[in-house]
Amino acid sequence: MSVVKRKVILLVALSFAGLLVLSVLSMSSLVFGAKEASLWEVAASLNRLLLFGWPIGNYLPLPSCVDLSLDSILYYSRIPRTIVAVLIGSGLAASGAIMQAIARNPLVDPYISGVSSGAALGAALSLLTSWFTGVAQMISLPLAAFAGGLTAFTLTFLIYRASGETPLSFVLGGVIVGVAFTSLTTLLIVTSDKELHGVLFWVFGSVAYASWDNVWVLAPIIVSLTLACLLFARDLNVFLLGDEQAVQMGVNVKLFRRGMMVVAALMASSCVAFTGIIGFVGLVVPHIVRLALGSDHRLLLPLSSIFGANLLLAADIIARIAMKPIELPVGVITSFIGVPFFAYLLIRRGKRYGM
Amino acid sequence: MECSLDCESRVTIKVEGLSYRYNSASALDGLTFEVERGELVGLVGPNGSGKTTLLKCLSRVLTPCSGVILLDGRDISKMSLLEVARICASVPSEFSADVNLPVVDAVLLGRHPHVRGVWWEDERDEEVAMRAIERMKISDFARRRLGELSSGEKQRVMLAKALAQEAKVLLVDEPVAYLDIRYQLEIMEILRTLADDGVTVIAAMHQLSLAARYCDKLIVLKKGRIVACGKPEEVICEELIEDVYGVKAFVQKLPSVGLVVIPVATVDGGGVR
Repeated sequence: MSVVKRKVILLVALSFAGLLVLSVLSMSSLVFGAKEASLWEVAASLNRLLLFGWPIGNYLPLPSCVDLSLDSILYYSRIPRTIVAVLIGSGLAASGAIMQAIARNPLVDPYISGVSSGAALGAALSLLTSWFTGVAQMISLPLAAFAGGLTAFTLTFLIYRASGETPLSFVLGGVIVGVAFTSLTTLLIVTSDKELHGVLFWVFGSVAYASWDNVWVLAPIIVSLTLACLLFARDLNVFLLGDEQAVQMGVNVKLFRRGMMVVAALMASSCVAFTGIIGFVGLVVPHIVRLALGSDHRLLLPLSSIFGANLLLAADIIARIAMKPIELPVGVITSFIGVPFFAYLLIRRGKRYGM
Repeated sequence: MECSLDCESRVTIKVEGLSYRYNSASALDGLTFEVERGELVGLVGPNGSGKTTLLKCLSRVLTPCSGVILLDGRDISKMSLLEVARICASVPSEFSADVNLPVVDAVLLGRHPHVRGVWWEDERDEEVAMRAIERMKISDFARRRLGELSSGEKQRVMLAKALAQEAKVLLVDEPVAYLDIRYQLEIMEILRTLADDGVTVIAAMHQLSLAARYCDKLIVLKKGRIVACGKPEEVICEELIEDVYGVKAFVQKLPSVGLVVIPVATVDGGGVR
């Protein structure tokens, strides 16, 4: 079979499988939680919500025996939470895949490159200071996070450039930038007189407080940026042969890398702005896809998005049921998966990548 | 068609007064030369004499400080990177490609400047890539990944990639550096047939005997300057090698082989540094 046809078939089949699993996970995400409910009850509630919208009582005189508390929980908590988990998971994974391509380094993701910490500082500044309130804050939050994330990414890149451009120098640069920004965030949280809604949860990363507002801001950003990256998948492939070959094959490396840096930082930062720092999704997912299917970004980007969404949603479900009734921050779960994986990569593949 | 080809000058590459500096160190100093269509040109000279820098200027990876490079009569500094990429392919001596990239994908990447669609290569692209894979005899490991290959195998993959690019001009940096003697000869034979088919090939080389035997023309560089340029038998002689490399060499023309260069001993005070 022709190489290209094989790839198209692989892409379609795996996307379909991934979306199928995602829909099963989404349904489970609606079922599991503090309030026990059966699949059947959830389905009935969903049906009511889809037919009549929310709040139901305004439109329809329902017999008083129908319990609407599950409808309310679904509408206000579980549905936006599920959507946000899907968006964040795919955004972090796609952003990680792009960072790995432009840094030419498989050990990079939004967390390790310092972007998440930078974005967290930006977000904390916007939340804890009283510079912006209300609607202005809703807009300033992702913007501040983005400014922080991009600053951190640029710093990491500068350190990487100045320290010999080895894969290890990128990782170390990202780590120190991350530590610096995290300390500033901690300082801000400790000295602030404002109560940040679930500070601890936010530091470890959680989608528990996701709301429809988050969905409306996140969805257009993640969807449009992912589509934009997909357009450039073939150019990202040329980077696989190295910078010089990329120039020689007609890609304006400097401009393209800067553009992609901004896109990756924007995606990761908007995720961090609403859910705090969730590490390692951007590392693990693209890496597994790459090991299984090779590095063609036409497969890597869309499949990383889909499987990233799957991973984060699954992790969030685990976070809810692992130590019931206590709910864990989802970032803890992803770290449990990511840290051993990172160690494995360093040990098994470190030599190959010249570390 | 015939006429238009003939009316065009036979020169594909014309370089005039080309200079390049790395910070303060001059790497190329006022190079002027011409290369005709279908010529196989050997670029020789010691390490640091500017061979690689010259190749990089020709493929627009580096922008010269002064001087003009004309490709098919057009100034390359006024062409887009993509336009240059369609005419001119390059094979680096060292490269750090992604270890997870399958060989087939690497060769298909050579089609990048030509692909019309947004995403997928079409059937013709794939056909060209497959021909390149066969020609470089790498179909045995076409499904393997770059990280699993030896440096010699990688070099052949990169040559296949350049062939897939269907360029009129091929810039090759040390094409036989990592190859055993059989593949050295095979690669030189392939470069020779390419040149005979009308592709202009410029190859930076250290193997003087091979260069002398296969090339139409040699350009000898020393400290960023051209010290000799012409047919191998006119250029290569013991005095030149002593002057350029600081090496006493044994040069002889054998009837069935051609020029043979055997380095014998280093000479004090010679060489580049």
